[in-house]
Amino acid sequence: MLKIEGLVKSYNKGEIRAVDNIGLEVRDGEIFGFLGPNGAGKTTTIKMIVGLLRPDEGEILLDGINVWEDPMKAKSMISYVPDNPEIYDRLRGIEYLNFIGDMYGIPTEERNEKAMQLTKTFNIEDSLGDIISSYSHGMKQKLVLTAALMSNPDLFILDEPMVGLDPKSAFNLKEIMRTMCNEGKSVFFSTHVMEVAEKLCDRIAIINKGKIIAMGTMEELRKTAQEKESLENIFLELTENE
Amino acid sequence: MNNKLLSLIRTDLNITFGLSSIAYNLKNKKKLLPMAMIGLAIISLLPSYLLMIRALGSFYDAFRQIGQQSYFLHVGIMSAQMIVFVLGMMYVMSKYYFSNDLPQLVPLPIKPSQIVGSKFVSLMVSEYLTSLPIILPFIVIYGRGGNEGLPYWIMSLITVVTLPILPLVLASVLIMVFMKYTNIKGKKDLIRVISAVFFIIFIIFVQIKINQLTSQNLMESESFMFNLARDANLLLNQIGIAFPTAMWGALALSNGFSPSGILYILLFAGTGVVGYVLMILLAERIFFDGLIGNIEVSARKGRGRTGDSAGRIRAGNPIITMAKKELLMIFKTPVYLMNSVGGVIILPVLLAISMLTGGEAYEPMKDMIMENREVLVLGSIGIIASFGILNSLGATTFSREGTNMWIQRTLPIRPKVQIVGRTLSSISLQVLGGLLLVGGIYFIVPLRIHEVIIILLFGVCASIPLTMIGMAVDILRPMTGWTNPQQAMKQNLNVIISMAIGTLFIFGAGFLGYILLPNYGIWSILGVYAVIIVTATGLLYKLLENMISSKFINME
Repeated sequence: MLKIEGLVKSYNKGEIRAVDNIGLEVRDGEIFGFLGPNGAGKTTTIKMIVGLLRPDEGEILLDGINVWEDPMKAKSMISYVPDNPEIYDRLRGIEYLNFIGDMYGIPTEERNEKAMQLTKTFNIEDSLGDIISSYSHGMKQKLVLTAALMSNPDLFILDEPMVGLDPKSAFNLKEIMRTMCNEGKSVFFSTHVMEVAEKLCDRIAIINKGKIIAMGTMEELRKTAQEKESLENIFLELTENE
Repeated sequence: MNNKLLSLIRTDLNITFGLSSIAYNLKNKKKLLPMAMIGLAIISLLPSYLLMIRALGSFYDAFRQIGQQSYFLHVGIMSAQMIVFVLGMMYVMSKYYFSNDLPQLVPLPIKPSQIVGSKFVSLMVSEYLTSLPIILPFIVIYGRGGNEGLPYWIMSLITVVTLPILPLVLASVLIMVFMKYTNIKGKKDLIRVISAVFFIIFIIFVQIKINQLTSQNLMESESFMFNLARDANLLLNQIGIAFPTAMWGALALSNGFSPSGILYILLFAGTGVVGYVLMILLAERIFFDGLIGNIEVSARKGRGRTGDSAGRIRAGNPIITMAKKELLMIFKTPVYLMNSVGGVIILPVLLAISMLTGGEAYEPMKDMIMENREVLVLGSIGIIASFGILNSLGATTFSREGTNMWIQRTLPIRPKVQIVGRTLSSISLQVLGGLLLVGGIYFIVPLRIHEVIIILLFGVCASIPLTMIGMAVDILRPMTGWTNPQQAMKQNLNVIISMAIGTLFIFGAGFLGYILLPNYGIWSILGVYAVIIVTATGLLYKLLENMISSKFINME
């Protein structure tokens, strides 16, 4: 589904390498966790995948389509949920959903069905008539999730999706991710919550100082570390050694 | 001044004018090209400014011939203060009540008066940008014309520095009281904006009326000519009484360092300072009353039923959806609404007001227009076309996205949807402005139906390339890092740059019309205009298509 090769992004005329020659692959039907300490390069990588930040070097392919050469095609396959749900505060929830739906060209029936199902799952169906600025952080996050899932994306990309979600919604989101993967779609998300990554992800990559320092299934990661009990221990050991 | 206030002022000035980011860009040699372009745009406005100054010179000569040059200063100070006041009402409303930093400031251990005090100072600095280009030519022309000495120039400096204080104090007081008593539940933003526009129009109406009455009474008195010759400050004292502070300023300048000059400058600057202190005291009492309700957002929790929402989820044309989203954002953001709709409706409304209040004085003008209907039609087309720039919508369309820009960039939106959708939202305001203008003109000359159609059709179509020019400038250097919607619209240099280019476009077309009209008639001119509009729209569309595709990819 997603293939990244030799991705580089630097700032200050190359002095700071936020992302330093990384490569990874997310397969069809896979949930891929992207872990790393603050400032490791997770968000920068995600922004390059979704078209918000142009890479200095490297390639990002989505089912063979270069994200930066054919952005329209790539974007219609992706949905993105940022870490901070900054959305049109002055629109009503329903207006935002319709806006996103129209941009993806989702037919009314499909949109209706999806939106109803998702807003019910996230318990925001009664707030859709309200102005978004009246929403809490978590409610905005749920609205962004609903909007992103409405297009039934092939690749669902999320930056720290669990932040701000109540336990039930976090559980529901995990269920949705799993269902998507069962349908052959893929999920790529960054997180700080080790437990979520450990239980949910089929494969995990750990990024530190712009470089991927470990990648694989939980079993494979265990082999690379001395502390093998939990992902948290593996993460701490690997990132401290760097 | 305490440390908190100083720190607030420093931060507000920094945010308002983006000082840190300018310094950063200069240091890192980033964005130098766009900055150079801003300089060029400002320089390109200079020729029309110089023309205006030359016209002012003859205005001064006229007053000098009748020995009433002090009135010339009064007109200058009054004009600057009036403009600071009218713009100040809009600025105060958005800066005091709709800035994004307010939710961060209110929970801090600072007094309401400190918030207002700091915002006032920052507004003062912004207002110098408005008042200086107006007042300086008056002061320089008067000073050079009368070979004035050092006292005059010192007095001028004090006058110029303190000039915006009183109008801004008045604007602050009026808006604070207004906001306190309009802090009502429901569609408060819309109610406030609409009432504020009417309020501003009403105040301008009252000022025009007072000025007309005082000057009319003066001219009609039997001993007018005799008094005019005897008293060098006659016009100033008689007419100026309607605007006493402007009169004091003019008298201070014309009297120099004499005791009366010093008294007048003390009166002029003193009223500003006293007004400021009173305004701050008032702010301490009522500012939060109007503000707190404003930060709260009404939510009809539980009232937006599921069935309700389901009924309204429906697919639409992406272009129409984009236009609708733009319009919704404009109508729901008071600052955008005031600046865009305000720019479009105030001109026609003022036209109607001045015609209604002018009475017989406008009869000769009406006759002249009746004889030159073709010029009226072409001029009206030009005005409606200029709404395409005056509403600032094209030149801020991408900037207004602000932190929401990620949505536009990550969705599969074709450039066509961006261009046509955003242009449509701007056009709808041009249609509104056009209808009002035609209505305004009706007070002067009853228009024929085919003239109305030509004016609206050509005016609105000509506004399309002008809106697109704004969009091209905005996509080249979108200003998305704003914290206050005011910055996206009023402090966005893209507006000035596109105004400079747009003015050239309109003047160019106007000049062409001027040359062609005597020999070829209006239909040929309309034919030429149609060709220009279609060609410019086509070229700009292609240009925008390329710019949007590449900028949306390369933006960081």
